[in-house]
Amino acid sequence: MLNQILPLLIFGALLLAVVGGVRRIRLWRNGRPSDVPIMAGLAALPRRYLVDLHHVVARDKYISNTHVATGGGFVAAAILAILVHGLQLNSQILAWALLAATTSMFVGALFVAKRRVQPPERLSKGPWMRLPKSLLAFSIGFFLVTLPVTGLVPAVLGAWVLALILSVLIIWGLGEMFFGMTWGGPMKHAFAGALHLAFHRRAERFNGGRSTGLKPLHFDDQQQPLGVEKPSEFTWNQLLGFDACVQCGRCEAMCPAFAAGQPLNPKKLIQDMVVGLAGGSDAAYAGSPYPGKPLGEHQGGPFASIIAREGQGLLDAETLWSCTTCRACVEECPMMIEHVDAIVDMRRHLTLERGQTPNKGAEVIDNLIATDNPNGFNPASRMNWAADLALPVLSDVKRTDVLLWMGDGAFDMRNQRSLRALVKILRAAKVDFAVLGNEERDSGDVARRLGDEATFQSLAKRNITTLAQYSFRSIVTCDPHSFHVLKNEYSDFGGQYVVYHHSTFINHLRQTGKLNFAPYKGGSVTYHDPCYLGRYNGEYDAPRDLLAAAGIQVIEMERSGFRSRCCGGGGGAPITDIPGKQRIPDMRMEDIKQTGAEIVAVGCPQCTAMLEGVVDPRPEVLDIAEIIAKQLVEAEEAA
Amino acid sequence: MSQFDAIFQPIQIGKLTIRNRVVSTAHAEVHATDGGMTTDRYVKYYEEKAKGGCGLCICGGSSVVSIDSPQAWWSSVNLSTDRIIPHFQNLADAVHKHGGKIMIQITHMGRRSRWDGYNWTTLVSPSGIREPVHRSTCKTIEPEEIQRIIGDYAKAARRAKEGGLDGVELSAVHQHLIDQFWSPRVNKRTDEWGGSYENRMRFGMEVLKAVREEVGPDFVVGMRICGDEFHPDGLTHEDMKQIAAYYDATGLVDFFGVIGSGCDTHNTLANVIPNMSYPPEPFLHLAAGIKEVVKAPVIHAQNIKDPNQAQRILEGGYVDMVGMTRAHIADPHIIAKIKMGQIDQIRQCVGANYCIDRQYQGLDVLCIQNAATSREYMGLPHIIGKTEGVVRKVVVVGGGPAGMEAARVAAERGHQVVLFEGQAQLGGQITLAAKAPQRDQMAGITRWYQLELARLNVDLRLNTYADEAQIKAEQPDIVILAVGGKPFIEQVPEWGADEGLIVSSWDILDGKVEPGKNVLVYDTICEFTGMSTADYLSEKGSKVELVTDDVKPGAAIGGTTFPTYYRSLYPKEVIMTSDLALHKVYREDEQLVAVLENEYTGQLEERVVDQVVVENGVRPDEALYYALKQQSLNKGQIDIEALYAIQPQPCLSESTAGDDFLLFRIGDCTAPRNTHAAIYDALRLCKDF
Ligand SMILES: Cc1cc2nc3c(=O)[nH]c(=O)nc-3n(C[C@H](O)[C@H](O)[C@H](O)COP(=O)(O)O)c2cc1C
Ligand code: SF4
Ligand code: SF4
Ligand code: SF4
Repeated sequence: MLNQILPLLIFGALLLAVVGGVRRIRLWRNGRPSDVPIMAGLAALPRRYLVDLHHVVARDKYISNTHVATGGGFVAAAILAILVHGLQLNSQILAWALLAATTSMFVGALFVAKRRVQPPERLSKGPWMRLPKSLLAFSIGFFLVTLPVTGLVPAVLGAWVLALILSVLIIWGLGEMFFGMTWGGPMKHAFAGALHLAFHRRAERFNGGRSTGLKPLHFDDQQQPLGVEKPSEFTWNQLLGFDACVQCGRCEAMCPAFAAGQPLNPKKLIQDMVVGLAGGSDAAYAGSPYPGKPLGEHQGGPFASIIAREGQGLLDAETLWSCTTCRACVEECPMMIEHVDAIVDMRRHLTLERGQTPNKGAEVIDNLIATDNPNGFNPASRMNWAADLALPVLSDVKRTDVLLWMGDGAFDMRNQRSLRALVKILRAAKVDFAVLGNEERDSGDVARRLGDEATFQSLAKRNITTLAQYSFRSIVTCDPHSFHVLKNEYSDFGGQYVVYHHSTFINHLRQTGKLNFAPYKGGSVTYHDPCYLGRYNGEYDAPRDLLAAAGIQVIEMERSGFRSRCCGGGGGAPITDIPGKQRIPDMRMEDIKQTGAEIVAVGCPQCTAMLEGVVDPRPEVLDIAEIIAKQLVEAEEAA
Repeated sequence: MSQFDAIFQPIQIGKLTIRNRVVSTAHAEVHATDGGMTTDRYVKYYEEKAKGGCGLCICGGSSVVSIDSPQAWWSSVNLSTDRIIPHFQNLADAVHKHGGKIMIQITHMGRRSRWDGYNWTTLVSPSGIREPVHRSTCKTIEPEEIQRIIGDYAKAARRAKEGGLDGVELSAVHQHLIDQFWSPRVNKRTDEWGGSYENRMRFGMEVLKAVREEVGPDFVVGMRICGDEFHPDGLTHEDMKQIAAYYDATGLVDFFGVIGSGCDTHNTLANVIPNMSYPPEPFLHLAAGIKEVVKAPVIHAQNIKDPNQAQRILEGGYVDMVGMTRAHIADPHIIAKIKMGQIDQIRQCVGANYCIDRQYQGLDVLCIQNAATSREYMGLPHIIGKTEGVVRKVVVVGGGPAGMEAARVAAERGHQVVLFEGQAQLGGQITLAAKAPQRDQMAGITRWYQLELARLNVDLRLNTYADEAQIKAEQPDIVILAVGGKPFIEQVPEWGADEGLIVSSWDILDGKVEPGKNVLVYDTICEFTGMSTADYLSEKGSKVELVTDDVKPGAAIGGTTFPTYYRSLYPKEVIMTSDLALHKVYREDEQLVAVLENEYTGQLEERVVDQVVVENGVRPDEALYYALKQQSLNKGQIDIEALYAIQPQPCLSESTAGDDFLLFRIGDCTAPRNTHAAIYDALRLCKDF
């Protein structure tokens, strides 16, 4: 009897899955076009899955092994089940293989179930609590119905009672695994996730590319909206990406804004986008909400404003303004979802179309427009910090080996100390360097993260024009934000440069024997990785190598390297200043204090400012350049 | 805008860019030696300011251009010989290395000097009129001499330039030769060098032209002038505006330094370096008035002590640069601390004028509260590094200047420090000193220590007169006694201290004893305490006679401070009597009779009063020292050879394990001296702990 039912069930489920798939694809296609190569993407899929995605998943050994067993088992079992039970191919080999696949899946599902016994806070509940049972149903069901095919048990077992029970298991399993995959169940992640990998909007990330995923707006293109107001204004592959989310909450666990009790949770944000693309409310969401924002009050649809002009929309603006763009979420996401560019896309709309940059945002943007620096300092005073250093200025010398990009820290008394230390090091190593002087402008980083793409582009283009007048081999800067923007974002506007963060450059000077250090006698040191140097640009080693070479043994924080916790200073967050329960820099200082170090070495003016803003008593905050400058043994001047 | 942006705005003076708006203006350092050559000490002193971030140092207050302006009295820099050039090169390099700029004040002092020594110079002045402050007579200068001196200025400027300095400042202030020619009060000539305005201006103008001619346009030449001589027959503010505009119009002057007040009487001299009795920036309006009429940038110094004040003045645009001269003497790292956001760590000048009062005595310029200043060359640090040796338990007893400095220095070295103080607050005798009218800023010294000791986590035990047991209970490795002393009013039994006939100056200042109506203050010491007590009493309404056996009440107080006491005492009708010793005191009915004996005739006089206050200095408190002395490893001895050579005490190498400890005593509990001595004792002893 089962022989009659099984093909029906299997092909019925497959049919429903196809219908669901088509419907889902239509939802994605509400999004705007995106020029991704379809075939090349599909071809790259296996590698992206096995290498890149696995690289992230493997950080959690438990779940990665479980996933290989369950997922691998399921894929094999599904194909074999279609062959053995759907097409009724009477092959012993296939039947045995199917038994093996379902066994693997069963074992995996047991581990999935175990994780769900007392699930960590970050995991969503709801339908996801059902998934292990569904997996068990599928694997047990197909295991049992396959037994007769192998001849291990007599076909007699096809008695109707048993057949009924088995059919329920099979229907349940098929329902979750095939139907649920395209109709919005937890298994959707497999379908959307695979396609998302193939059609990823920032494909360069799979080859170590360091782009931001912030695509330039083309202001002369009338068709293109200025940022994203409605879900349908995301590109289709962004929408697809949201759908891939498995609600694992790894992003949530790493998000500094969430931990600080600000109204942001990257997982919820992605789920809200899923609600938006399909239409509905967030009532069914079964994970941690945005701190301070109860569920069930927000709703949206593909063509409704995400941030309502009146009443409740899908999100509140403060959710978007809480993000520090630290990319901890992106770094952690096993589904390679890009939260930050989505957030910036939505901020662009708020800033460019509505002029609603909160708190000091508007003032900062006005300052940038009027004075080319965010704090409105007289642009002619950019060189004041170096009045006594006689730095060569490019407008005089025209060419140099190294262009020292000062950044807006040049206006800040604290950062001036770091800059001066850097100058001291460059001089000690006899580097031929020069600065742009008052011709330098803000890199545009803050403007861009605040969504003001117009001001960003204006700054970028003018900086590029200035740079084009001079000849230099590389740019060195102590500001990771300038570093990232110059290195990775100016190329969209024709600016291609060799850019080094000062820690990389100084480390290079050391490696080539241009610097000598005295034995280190200072206090114990930990190192804080700036987001824009570490996660954005993958530079974790140079600062550590450099400190080690200076005789300093870095005591690592628990959250360091790619898991470093943001200082709270990125993405204009200190400017938009969304209140939470605690301050991000205070939390970071706690991380630092836990190491017992007396000094925290940093490599970013913003981090320095944020961490120094933490009240005493606390470890001393020193830029790497300051630490190294103190260690220099300067060669005796020739007599 | 940042809080101190006006301070950190660079400025162009002539062809020179200066990194910020803060100047250490010219002050006689009194330590150029060997015929006026700048020394290692001199170079290190300025290097420290440059290292500390000062924008411009104008060194060499009153550095002479001619040999008839004697150099030796104040060991000022001698620019009358080419020998100075290589010395300048060292100086310029040391300052430039840290991004600072350095110029020198050059001058001929005319009559403002002494003739009775060295070359036995015949001093010169436009009309041979005597100068009262230095009690100096002089000859009327002849035209040939005028021409020679003009030439000397030019040569001196060339030497400064060849030595690599960034500029010269011509002193036409403090009644030097140029302003002696300007002022109708001293210039009574009828030839081309006096009389009419142009004629009085001529000497200065010729000097300026000759100097500019010699050094060319690329070297800075500035002028320091006063804003008003404050003499009825002297130059007024309007005159000074006219003069400034007149010189400015030549385009030869790169900057003007302006200060308020003339300075050829004791009373006006006190204005020039205003002590703590003055308000902040008392003469800024005069500098601002000059700035209104000149194009060249204007510098002003006089009681500008803290960064907010400097910022406010610069932001207001009253002047272009602020002099913070004593502010740098008290803390050469003031600018760096502003930059580091360590405003609370700035050791702010309190205007005690120990520095300038020493200068007028021909002694090297030192700061009452910062013993490292001007001793950089000896290795005394402004920033004290942590020890690389063992961390010790240091117990300091006594929270006066010696004890506070010892605790601070030991804590900076990284030791674990306990400080016992018997009173409810720190400060010791500083607290008393600050009780007098116009002397309240003395407390600034203590305030800084309070903040520093808190920052350094020194374990403060106030209200605790530590005894032997308490000290030993701390298991100290080092014990420092700085318990000071007691007023010494028992010295002469006839004074009747034991019978309670007299009280001490401390009792009065402390408020322990109510002021009497009719009070005799007997002061054998003639320093601040006696004057302060008289001032305090008269302020509270007492009728006061201040009597001393010395030559003059306040005789030991320096030239910029006794005038401000007098200004306060005379209007309150305090009678000041000298040359009388207190012979005895006895009671008659409700009254006290003080018997005074004339020092020179032996004649006795009596005063019937209701209170006799005696100021007879301090008697060291030695009890605790002798209780601990024999138990200590080093028997309480300080190796003075090591101490004076700023070397570590040899006994520091001994093990202080278990109950063993080292014992040192410093400050007034050894022998009564002053605040500076107490702090210096502590710094040089503790810097190597
Ligand atoms: C010890 C000392 C010596 C000084 N000698 C001179 C001098 O030789 N020439 C001069 O023009 N001013 C001299 N001055 C005055 C200072 O340049 C300055 O005008 C004065 O100290 C007031 O500024 P302040 O309040 O910032 O200290 C001297 C000041 C001090 C404290
Ligand atoms: S970028 Fe950082 S702050 Fe923003 S959502 Fe992701 S983890 Fe949170
Ligand atoms: S966005 Fe990524 S990391 Fe966050 S819950 Fe979804 S899948 Fe997990
Ligand atoms: S001695 Fe007094 S007046 Fe002079 S610098 Fe020091 S604190 Fe200021």
